[in-house]
Amino acid sequence: MNDQRKGDHAEPTTHFGYQDVPESQKAKKVAEVFHSVAAKYDLMNDVLSGGMHRLWKRFTIELSGVRTGNRVLDIAGGTGDLAAKFSRLVGPTGQVVLADINESMLKVGRDRLLDRGVAGNIEFVQADAEKLPFPDNHFDCVTIAFGLRNVTHKEDAIRSMLRVLKPGGRLLVLEFSKPTNKFMSKAYDAYSFAFMPLAGKLITNDSESYRYLAESIRMHPDQETLKAMMVAAGFDRVTYHNMTSGIVAVHRGIKP
Amino acid sequence: MLLAGLLASVEHGLNRILRMDSTAMPRLAALEGKVIEIDCRQPALQVFILPDEQGLMLASSWEGSVDCTLRAPAGSLAQLALARDKTAVLHSPQVELHGDTAALLDLFGILQDLELDWEHELQNWLGPVPTALLAGHVRLRARWTRQSLARLSQSLSEYLAEESRTLVGKREAEAAFSEIDTLKLDTERLEARLKRLSRSLDTSDNA
Repeated sequence: MNDQRKGDHAEPTTHFGYQDVPESQKAKKVAEVFHSVAAKYDLMNDVLSGGMHRLWKRFTIELSGVRTGNRVLDIAGGTGDLAAKFSRLVGPTGQVVLADINESMLKVGRDRLLDRGVAGNIEFVQADAEKLPFPDNHFDCVTIAFGLRNVTHKEDAIRSMLRVLKPGGRLLVLEFSKPTNKFMSKAYDAYSFAFMPLAGKLITNDSESYRYLAESIRMHPDQETLKAMMVAAGFDRVTYHNMTSGIVAVHRGIKP
Repeated sequence: MLLAGLLASVEHGLNRILRMDSTAMPRLAALEGKVIEIDCRQPALQVFILPDEQGLMLASSWEGSVDCTLRAPAGSLAQLALARDKTAVLHSPQVELHGDTAALLDLFGILQDLELDWEHELQNWLGPVPTALLAGHVRLRARWTRQSLARLSQSLSEYLAEESRTLVGKREAEAAFSEIDTLKLDTERLEARLKRLSRSLDTSDNA
């Protein structure tokens, strides 16, 4: 979707925020961003979203319909907000896999969940969303919250998620999207490019990572485009719900 | 989103309260996996309750299947929350129950049996010595208030019934009700006798 080929022999490029970078470089650059912010990731989420990220994740869980005994994969699970809730919902007979490509984020997530006593039915796996190391038809629900925009080949990742889902299983993609209201869109732009890098500088001493965050949100497919990508990958009954005037949207698709 | 935020706050507060009773969480663990829907008709509002060993999870929507649905207007739900005898409220015509009602009744039972160890919670904030002093003082005041209210209620009822004669005394009222009951029964008997007599007169006229 976002590949651009420069000549016959040049390596394909992709977006890294507003920059074009060789595809092989994107994962490394994204990893650098998350290594840098991992320690204060939760604090920054609360500061930047005013705590709203908790409500967005709550709604995603409500849409998941996960029940006791289910097997759930939380990709780009980061510090484990969703995984902790899923761990409660699936109970001791179920299983939750928290997967993240970034070692630092996975470590922070694992320590945080273990400190909170979330254990027994949860596993931590370092994995690339494009090549998920799980068998076919394995999970009842797959979620990816604020992670898809960092993936180099989004179509490959969506296809990989489809493969590991059981027929009838649900994929939930929670991601920043396009505001539906013009006024909100302008206010959000001002907020993203002025306040977010400043907050990043003050709290994590890293404004560049938060500039990337703002840019990567703008480069991410909007609601309808992502829906079309999910349909093209083979998902059925794909719907999306806008939250906070479309700043965030959660897409849901069912594996036929 | 507003409702989700409100529910998140209620859930947080409710779980704090539940943790103050050491028996509540093990009892809630028995309900793990159940989804209870509370569907308020007026005003229209749905809340889904998911109990587990860590407390209650509240959701404004739920895509999965539901084990039990309680549908009632807000008034009946409030009555249900406050009433000691919940079964009587559940049998009222405005209340609809579907599915596994045992799960709902168990949940109500747990909430009704809550005995909050507020001293333990206070100890975490103030420390053991100030808590013990404060708790002793509060208990003393509570006992004094209870006794004073009981005495006030008794004195007031005696004054109104015996001295000012504003109200009828309990025994007098019972005697009057008993006379009314006897009169009612006598009237009904008389009515039945009159009907019988009029029927027998009709029969003799026709003959």
